[in-house]
Amino acid sequence: MRRVRLFWQSVYDVRPGERARTFLMALHMLFVLFAYYILKPVSRALFLNKFEIDRLPLLNVLIAVCGGMLAYLYTRVAVKASLQVAIYWSTGIALSCLVAIWWLLQFEFGWMLYVLNIWVSLFSIILVSQAWLVAANVFNSREAKRLFGILGLGAVAGASLGGSFTALVARMVETRHLLLASGVMVILAFGALMLVASLKNVNLKSATGAESEEKFAFSDILEGIHKHKHLQVIMGIITLMFIVDVMIDYQFSALAKVAYPNKEDLTAFLGSFFGLYLTLVTFVMQFFLTAIIVRHLGVGGTLQIMPVVIGTTSLCLIVMPQLAVASVVRILEAGTRYTLNKTGMELLYLPLPAGLKNRTKAFVDIFMDRFGRGIGGLVLMAFSALFVAPGKQPNARQISGLVIGFCVLWIGLSVLASRAYLSTIRQRLASRRLDLSGVHLAVADAGTIQLLERQLTEGTPRQASYALGQLAEAAQYEVAPLLNGLVQSPAVELRRKVYEVAGATRYAGLLEPAQRALEVAGDGPEQQAALEYLISTAADTIVTPTWVAQAAVDPNPQRRALAARAIQLRGSDGDHHLGRLLEDPDPGVREASCRAAGTLGDRRHFDTLIRLLGDRTVRGAATESLGSFGPRICGALGDILAAPTTPAAIRRRIPRVLRLIRDQQSVDVLIAALGGADSLAVLKALNRLREAAPNLAFKKDAVFRQLGLEAKRYFEMGSSLVALRGWSTPRTAASLLVRSIEARMQQIEDRLFRLLALRYPSAEMYSAFLAVRSRQPEKITVALDYLDSTLDRDLKKFVIPLFEGVERVAKNGRDLYGIEVPTAEAAIRSLVGSNDHWLAACAMATAGERQLRAVLPDIVRAGQQSFPENAAVAQAASALLA
Amino acid sequence: MTELNVVERVIALEGVDLLQNLNPDQLSRVASIATEVRHPGGQIILQPSVPLDALYVVLDGSVELSQNGAPVHTAKQNEVLGAWGLFDGEPMPLTATTLEETRLLKIGREDFFEVLSDNVEIATAVFSTLVKRFRRLVG
Repeated sequence: MRRVRLFWQSVYDVRPGERARTFLMALHMLFVLFAYYILKPVSRALFLNKFEIDRLPLLNVLIAVCGGMLAYLYTRVAVKASLQVAIYWSTGIALSCLVAIWWLLQFEFGWMLYVLNIWVSLFSIILVSQAWLVAANVFNSREAKRLFGILGLGAVAGASLGGSFTALVARMVETRHLLLASGVMVILAFGALMLVASLKNVNLKSATGAESEEKFAFSDILEGIHKHKHLQVIMGIITLMFIVDVMIDYQFSALAKVAYPNKEDLTAFLGSFFGLYLTLVTFVMQFFLTAIIVRHLGVGGTLQIMPVVIGTTSLCLIVMPQLAVASVVRILEAGTRYTLNKTGMELLYLPLPAGLKNRTKAFVDIFMDRFGRGIGGLVLMAFSALFVAPGKQPNARQISGLVIGFCVLWIGLSVLASRAYLSTIRQRLASRRLDLSGVHLAVADAGTIQLLERQLTEGTPRQASYALGQLAEAAQYEVAPLLNGLVQSPAVELRRKVYEVAGATRYAGLLEPAQRALEVAGDGPEQQAALEYLISTAADTIVTPTWVAQAAVDPNPQRRALAARAIQLRGSDGDHHLGRLLEDPDPGVREASCRAAGTLGDRRHFDTLIRLLGDRTVRGAATESLGSFGPRICGALGDILAAPTTPAAIRRRIPRVLRLIRDQQSVDVLIAALGGADSLAVLKALNRLREAAPNLAFKKDAVFRQLGLEAKRYFEMGSSLVALRGWSTPRTAASLLVRSIEARMQQIEDRLFRLLALRYPSAEMYSAFLAVRSRQPEKITVALDYLDSTLDRDLKKFVIPLFEGVERVAKNGRDLYGIEVPTAEAAIRSLVGSNDHWLAACAMATAGERQLRAVLPDIVRAGQQSFPENAAVAQAASALLA
Repeated sequence: MTELNVVERVIALEGVDLLQNLNPDQLSRVASIATEVRHPGGQIILQPSVPLDALYVVLDGSVELSQNGAPVHTAKQNEVLGAWGLFDGEPMPLTATTLEETRLLKIGREDFFEVLSDNVEIATAVFSTLVKRFRRLVG
């Protein structure tokens, strides 16, 4: 039963709160397509019966020209008015036209058949496009991915019923009367749409096609298209799709006209073709394939199916140019267009900002449809004029060759569409992030030099130091003559800078003042800078091994710290003072010694440095020093990380050391530690390593396995949360437990996204994480769109359901992992016995508070086994339950 | 009366504004450094001349806050005294005197800084609270 349910959900997944919207929108689609599939066979049969096939390309061109104008007028209405008003207008005009054409057809004017066909074509575009626009405003993109397949199903059912109805009734009543039946369907479609508009949370009045009425202009739309590559690709695909459609329709119509010279036979064939064969195929595709294909192949893959199928079947038509084969090509072309391609194209619009989407969608859909058909008609006319003998028409083989050429172009555009889709999603995610850029000052001109020189004498010590630093870096500026004067400055900050600059420029004129500075008690910045200067310019004469030995045992800790710095700067510890200095009681000396040990990289100090990781006063320096040892200590660090006897304070620092060692060995050690006690610290280190060294390999299997474990844990927590929901009385153990579980779930979210960032773009994963953490549905939807488009299929199965809202967690956990929601008592019992000490403590306190006596034996057992803090909680809970 | 266990201490700390951004797990780490202190009635526990070095949460009893001898507030169960004493040693401009036998939960500044230095997430959460408060003040 579970499998059946899962299969059904894998195809269609309508959730509570979505049913009425989905049903009514599907019903609307059904009526619109019903109306259209009455009009389509009638108008086509009347035209083909009256005129020769060579008029068909001309009809397509006329449709393009008239369609362009109507598209402009319709878009003006759509963007200036609310969507609801646009619906009123389009429905009213459609009904008026139907009645007028029905009345005029009785006079049998030839031109009326052109008018009828042009109008029928525009009818479908305006009403169908409008229906999808409404759908895009009624559902968000996550809902759309699940539910647009059902709307498409409604459309297919409408087409099927409309075509069959026409085939059946065509011989019973005068053909033109079928237009009135179509009008009834338009009214029903309008009624369904009004019911949708009346639903809670649906507001078509606020959905407008333009941000403001005053700003709208035709050029606005063209500008939008010009700016967005995403829209350009959509336009390209629509154009190619309709060029191919015109050619295939031409092939099919020409062969049908030859096969059925009689008007009634032709009408019946077209009715059956559109109503039965075509609909049957599209129905099967929509019902069984579309949702699954979209889910598995994504937007890009789905859009490629149609050109591949058409190109392949056109090859068959070259071999066998017969009506049966042309019908198959036509069915597959129309079938994939109404199902896979339609759904794929609608999804392609979704990442666009709502304003842009509404402003241009109607225009692009309508205009590009006409434009594509017009181009198709012109291509056919040009092809006939250039390559076909006068008085003859192009044959099926020639047309098929052309179709295959256009399909190749189409496949290329589909690949581009997939990239543009992802790029747009990335931009939307990135736009939620603050991007700060640094300011760079370049010293080059004489004016700046003069300003800096003035700062040396007139500025504050900080300004003077800054100016000196800038002047030292200026090209062709001699800074040395300034240094002897500046070193006499009363400001320590400036004197320090002077020694730094003198050392960097190898200026030997400050040896005396530097030596004097060293004699002054202290380990401040000036002494450090002076020491560095002396070692860099006269190490062997002033800062000798003897000087170091004396300083290393000086009672003044600042002198000992200077000794450690001297060892670091000299790069040698010939007399082995460093071991003792690392154990010095003064933290300043220990810190300087740590840095010296890191510079020397002597393995003898490794154990001491590891121990100092637990020393709060110097652990930062110890971390950096160990990092300086490089890959040769990765194995040892891995052993310490894995050892259960390693003190927690030291173990927590090991990942920080490893992240400084940008080597594959660091990654391997950290990956092996995933899931351990310090998962977050390990993941942070891995994230930093990937950021710093993207070429390192982060084992896919291990990362995916850990993702699966984290997801399962999340669902388990979610189920416990559902069991305890409602226990929210403030300042109680129960509410503390509930919030603790929520916090655990947030921690898992953090780790999940950090894991994902090891395999996918980290900046975008971080943006997606922030969106999910915001708990705002709109942001979550964008994040899930991104994940859906980016993650491997195996990951999507369990990662995306994690973030579909708290109310879905329990259900998704049951479907994916078979995790059932426990009773409150069972959840408490499970938590009491868990390895999570804090949750166990909260659960024990909750059991006591809620008088859950059945949990008492578990509490007594846990109190005996867990650490001291929990023993007190167990004792208190037991007392309450006794 | 028995000492509070860690869960009860966390519940008591939930009312501390400074710690409002900490999740329960993080609060439990702060709770682990909290100690209970008892004072008989009528005892001065904070005064303007003595620098603050800790935060106090009233567990039982009541504490009168007065300025120049005039009572301004009576702190009762779960109320906090000297919250910002965790960050600077400036004395409170008020005198705090127990009105009855009173039990307080005390978090010393040094211990608190140790917890912050060992748990960057807790430090981040506390900074976040401080920044929000600062924004409110300047905004």
